[in-house]
Amino acid sequence: MAALPTRRLECKDLHGYLKSLPTSVLDKLYNHPATCLAVFRDLPELARHYVMRLLFVEQPVAQAVVNQWISPGAEEASQVTSALSSLRVWHTQPLTGTMSGWILNPVFRENMKTALLGGGQPWAGGAPMTADKHARDIPFLDKYALERWECVLHFMVGSSEGSDGVNRDITDVLVNSGLMAKEEGEALPSITQEGFQFLLMDTASQVWYFLLQYLDTVQSRGLDLVSCLAFLFQLSFSTLGKDYSTEGMSESQLRFLQHLREFGLVYQRKRKSQRYYPTRLAINIASGLKSTSTDAHRPGFILVETNYHSPLQVALLALFCDLLYRFPNMLVANITRDSIRAALARGITAEQILNYLRSHAHPDMLHKTPVIPPTITDQVRLWELERARITFTDGVLYNQFLSQADFEMLRNYAKEMDVLVWELPEKRVMVVTKEGHDDVKRFWKRQRQT
Amino acid sequence: MVNVLKGVLVECDPAMKQLLLHLDETNEFGRKFVIQDLDETHLFISADIVETLQDRIDDLMDRLSFPLAEK
Repeated sequence: MAALPTRRLECKDLHGYLKSLPTSVLDKLYNHPATCLAVFRDLPELARHYVMRLLFVEQPVAQAVVNQWISPGAEEASQVTSALSSLRVWHTQPLTGTMSGWILNPVFRENMKTALLGGGQPWAGGAPMTADKHARDIPFLDKYALERWECVLHFMVGSSEGSDGVNRDITDVLVNSGLMAKEEGEALPSITQEGFQFLLMDTASQVWYFLLQYLDTVQSRGLDLVSCLAFLFQLSFSTLGKDYSTEGMSESQLRFLQHLREFGLVYQRKRKSQRYYPTRLAINIASGLKSTSTDAHRPGFILVETNYHSPLQVALLALFCDLLYRFPNMLVANITRDSIRAALARGITAEQILNYLRSHAHPDMLHKTPVIPPTITDQVRLWELERARITFTDGVLYNQFLSQADFEMLRNYAKEMDVLVWELPEKRVMVVTKEGHDDVKRFWKRQRQT
Repeated sequence: MVNVLKGVLVECDPAMKQLLLHLDETNEFGRKFVIQDLDETHLFISADIVETLQDRIDDLMDRLSFPLAEK
């Protein structure tokens, strides 16, 4: 609620993203089994239960019946129902009389069956191939993917290392998403507040966030969003270390593949090569925020005083530490009130800093419980709280009501619309959000007329 | 009748609120900014002062802390 001038980076999960798509796109997406399976896996457990029970029922099932499948009063029931509706996995259909029933989206049903039972068209890249004479193993792919990805991160912090590998497409996405901004008169964009927060996320979340931003621009690049998404979902079900054929891919998908190659999501030896290897970054991408597999495979590197010397890591630590000494294999930095406050002022939260320290701790640090000494975690949080002694909320104040009834009527309305920020009934004062003001004002005028 | 005012709702501890009232009374920023004193922990102030106010509070906090780190 605090209207601090910092913006928080919001990372949608798969569900949130799909919901934001136009319904026509969503309907087309379900034409592929991989998409259906990815969506199915992302659903809450109860929703999966519903889908499984309805999958082979070709007619609408009364809502009353569906409600009996769960214990009465289960809280998540209504959430699940609306989740399934908003993703267009099912919809209502009137039955006899006043009853209405649920029926699965027929396209979803068909393709979900195919995903579970097999059959249908072979998935892209599934065509049998001869052995690759330049075969790549998993460690190579991991190294390649991280190198590519770190190029992007290097570019963001403005370190010269490896940034030559960053092309227009990547820069465009970074600028469009607000992670970087172009100052007038400067050749290269520079990092923004949101960009700093982005850097502190784990790799899987970064890739997912970046892809979401990229997908928003896909159509303006003349690519077909549906076929790109379908390909992405198939990719997320592929096997690490196995090569796939580009045969049968559409023009759109081939260009999409080239972009994914630039981000390090797939490895392709040459642009014209007929085969590609998905990397760890691409696999399980659909699980979005939930997976952190990439980081789990890298040993951590932070002793409470870090010992790493890659320019990227140093630049990241410099976000919230005062650097003191730099040795070939070790770095000494102070975490001070000033350094933490500088990070807070950039919109980085204490939790993000602590998470970063925790998830990148040196193996020797990991033996301790807790990993970070509590005095440090507490102090960092206290420094954050210090800034939050005051919260500011933009709003509109209503006062001087003539009667308590008037006040209560308007307050109840604001509460219902979820725009009430604060109230003090004794003084008949209330504050509503800026956004809600017009609505509340109209309501008040209507009430006065009657 | 009802009266409508645009601004910013401030929520803080009572000590901080007294400080804000003091800044307002002494015309610290060259003008009054408190629109209404609501209760112990709430004030309603004009929106255009928020940034200046935040800078000033940060300043005060800085003066209250002593850096211990060796340089």
